[in-house]
Amino acid sequence: MSYAADLPTAPEFSQAPGTPQSAPAQAVHWTRKPWFINALAVAILLVVWQYLNSVNERVPSINEVVSFLGVELGGGSHGGVSRGEFWGPLSISLQRYVIGLAIGVPVGGLLGLLIGGSRRFRSVLNDTVLVLLVLPSVVWAFTASLWFGIGSTAPVVAVVLTAVPFMAVNLSSGIRGLDPGLALMSDAFRVPRLRRATHLLVGGALSNAVTGVRLALMTSWNSLLIVEWFGTASGVGWRAKHWYDAQRFEGFVAWILLFVVFITLLDWLVLRRLEHRSTRWQQQPTLTFAEGEVT
Amino acid sequence: MATILIENLTKVYPPTPTYPQQVQALGGVSMSVTGNVFVAVLGPSGSGKTTLLNIVAGVEEPTAGAVRVVQDGVPAQVGYVFQEPRLLPWRSVLDNMLYVQNRKSDRSKREAEFYLSMVGLSDVAHLYPAQLSAGMQQRVGIARAFLVNPDVLLMDEPFSHMDALTGRSLRDYLQRIWAHTRKTALFVTHDVGEAVELADRILMLRPGGVVFDDIPVNLQRPRRPDDAAVRAVETEVLRRFDSMEAAVRFGDQRN
Repeated sequence: MSYAADLPTAPEFSQAPGTPQSAPAQAVHWTRKPWFINALAVAILLVVWQYLNSVNERVPSINEVVSFLGVELGGGSHGGVSRGEFWGPLSISLQRYVIGLAIGVPVGGLLGLLIGGSRRFRSVLNDTVLVLLVLPSVVWAFTASLWFGIGSTAPVVAVVLTAVPFMAVNLSSGIRGLDPGLALMSDAFRVPRLRRATHLLVGGALSNAVTGVRLALMTSWNSLLIVEWFGTASGVGWRAKHWYDAQRFEGFVAWILLFVVFITLLDWLVLRRLEHRSTRWQQQPTLTFAEGEVT
Repeated sequence: MATILIENLTKVYPPTPTYPQQVQALGGVSMSVTGNVFVAVLGPSGSGKTTLLNIVAGVEEPTAGAVRVVQDGVPAQVGYVFQEPRLLPWRSVLDNMLYVQNRKSDRSKREAEFYLSMVGLSDVAHLYPAQLSAGMQQRVGIARAFLVNPDVLLMDEPFSHMDALTGRSLRDYLQRIWAHTRKTALFVTHDVGEAVELADRILMLRPGGVVFDDIPVNLQRPRRPDDAAVRAVETEVLRRFDSMEAAVRFGDQRN
């Protein structure tokens, strides 16, 4: 029988000796704010680009690239028989990307749980996964192209092979970094296995898992583009190669720019928010305590 | 009624690469604790206090001997207060409480809030542990141990990492909550004053994990460290420690 059930309140104990209060936030000068630093970096990049255009005629100007992008996005004519294409190649690539990640992230996560949670699995799999991690994504791109030839299988496999080690290594290191005292505490209180897995293992390694997802998404995008460049006849990588082969460098640069914009938007809109949420407990303001607080 | 029965308990840690000698933490401890009593196990560092508690809690296996922790003949529910609070940093205070609670219902949440109020932490249930002071975190640890409605409460030097003022405040909280619940408690400490202030009975361990004395403390509660009666028991405990040390030294010389 619980004692608490008989005593719904305990007013004599309910006065905490001190109430925590948030420390006042310090104002940051606008020149140090992230948006200003980001804008400055982009401005510097554009100035360097325009300078390169002025000294080397093979470097397209900002204006040429933007105009080309407009035609590509709007499906207009590039001159001759060639017409702009954007949504078709993009949807094909995104489909491959999503399928690859839908396989690679869970498989990598499962491997990470096994490697992090079991000494036996660690001894068998740890080195293998590390080898997979140190191989650059270009290796996976070529390997997948060699194995599966031209088509959609090679890019999907390349995305899977790139995502798996990032997930596995990050998640397993997160689990291995958990305080062993927390496992002992769980043992002492007889916490059920399922709750321990979800609250202790996954909860504790969540920020590592999100970092793994973030790296997997970014690196897999590179792999996908390389496979499409060399081993397919469709997708955004293939489209970039198409303009490169045609020596339309404004088209090539326009597509490179789109790759960068895509991954930057993905990072800003999804991944950083996810990471922020998963590390919310580490970002709480330091508290000060009222006068008289003795503990 | 809860009973802790320990018979000839021995724990020997095998050599490790970092410490190539085996270590005897417990050398045949026998004792029994029955009923709603607060028992302190007092001993210097290296006398096997934490090992004893871990074996009683069932998180460590003994090398030899037997331990039974039962409540009316069935295995007892144990609550454990550790030296460090051992809270999940990524969970709120309330979630940390509920993590060890096996029944999930509105009632279990109310119980968690009740025990938090008993340690004066009603207002911080939604905060993360890192937002609390060390003393407040340890108060959560105490509330958590009571939340599982334990038959037996184990405490491993829960105030040893606190400064004197914080430790005193926490002892007050513990005395109040224990007086309310009257659980069978096994409290490990190296602080003589703490043992006398809290316990009904003091078991004294010497290095090598051997119980050498068992002192009843028949003083009224609540006790204060500056009470003359508390001081007198402290002096007696220290005298017995000195005698034990002298006996050990004498034995060593004789050998």
